Amino acid sequence: MANQVQKLSYVDAKLGVGLPGQQTTRVIYDSVNATAGQQFFEFFTNFAGKNEFQTNLTTNKLDSAESMVIKSIQILINGATANLAGHLNLNITVGNQVVIKDFDPSFNSTNRGLSFDRLHSGASTGGILELRLLTDIVIPPQVNFKATLQLGSAAIALNDDITIVLKGYGRIFSAGNSF
Amino acid sequence: MGMSAQDKMIHVANRLGLTTLKDMQGTTRMVYDSQTTAALTHTLFKGASQRTFPLTNVGANGNQFQVDEALLVEKIGFFVPTAADGIDYNGLGTGNLSVKFDLVIGNKTVIKDATCELGGEQAFYNDGAALSSVIDLEGVGILIPPQVEYYVAAKTFDAQTRVATSQRLGCYLFGTGALLNFNTTI
Repeated sequence: MANQVQKLSYVDAKLGVGLPGQQTTRVIYDSVNATAGQQFFEFFTNFAGKNEFQTNLTTNKLDSAESMVIKSIQILINGATANLAGHLNLNITVGNQVVIKDFDPSFNSTNRGLSFDRLHSGASTGGILELRLLTDIVIPPQVNFKATLQLGSAAIALNDDITIVLKGYGRIFSAGNSF
Repeated sequence: MGMSAQDKMIHVANRLGLTTLKDMQGTTRMVYDSQTTAALTHTLFKGASQRTFPLTNVGANGNQFQVDEALLVEKIGFFVPTAADGIDYNGLGTGNLSVKFDLVIGNKTVIKDATCELGGEQAFYNDGAALSSVIDLEGVGILIPPQVEYYVAAKTFDAQTRVATSQRLGCYLFGTGALLNFNTTI
């Protein structure tokens, strides 16, 4: 079975990405400021007016010669009443292809004996969860991607923040030569 | 080295004549369904197309996957909705429950009279101090192929007194999946 490194090389090669690039661990994130009662959120589509801690991208695609594997998904919410412990519906789209479909990561929230991972954190907070995927999903260079999240609860308040973090093996541009 | 989840999916799909499944988008997938009326027995996923989020995430296809989509079930978890709206839920520990269940795919019972025992995976399952409500399938897992109906028939009972208990109940099936990818323009 291919590992993250092999899969990224395979997909990049199929798409004609020639440069090997600098291997790295890549973390990308986007945060949305909510309106009261909002239940549907879209991430990695609107970057206007966000500071460097709200998002580390300026467009919804990776740069040319940059690519990554999505291996972990983290979701954070800062609401006083809203949390991630109720049912959620997460979709991730790369290009026009849905790569994570109607996934409910809430089972990894808090300590209820329901987490997907065998070794789950002892920290029991409804505001932060992380999910480790079984499969390696590639975001190739220059391909649009986005994530959508639906909350089962309408308890979110005005100006609560909700953030999605995608983490995994990646490649960043390296010319391999002096300019 | 044992068979991987992907190997098993492709092997079973080939045996079923689903030769294009290997070209689909690999993913990590889970489906869940819940019933918020307390009962001694629950048939989960059957009729789920009549329910909506957050009671279930199966959508209009109900208890079968569409063409060229599949799920290799690697974990089964049971939870108890806390209210009729189905938004929030607890693990089985809150009611000191265990669950006896069958998993049926097509006309075939693939897990028979099994129990998800409360706290039953302490040898390797650590979720803080909470007792496990999850059972890991031994071997590589069990494939739910596309367009075949599946359901879970479950009964709740007290884990220690072994007496049947009427409860709300939900179930998730988690594992490696495949999503439809045409791999060509249409």
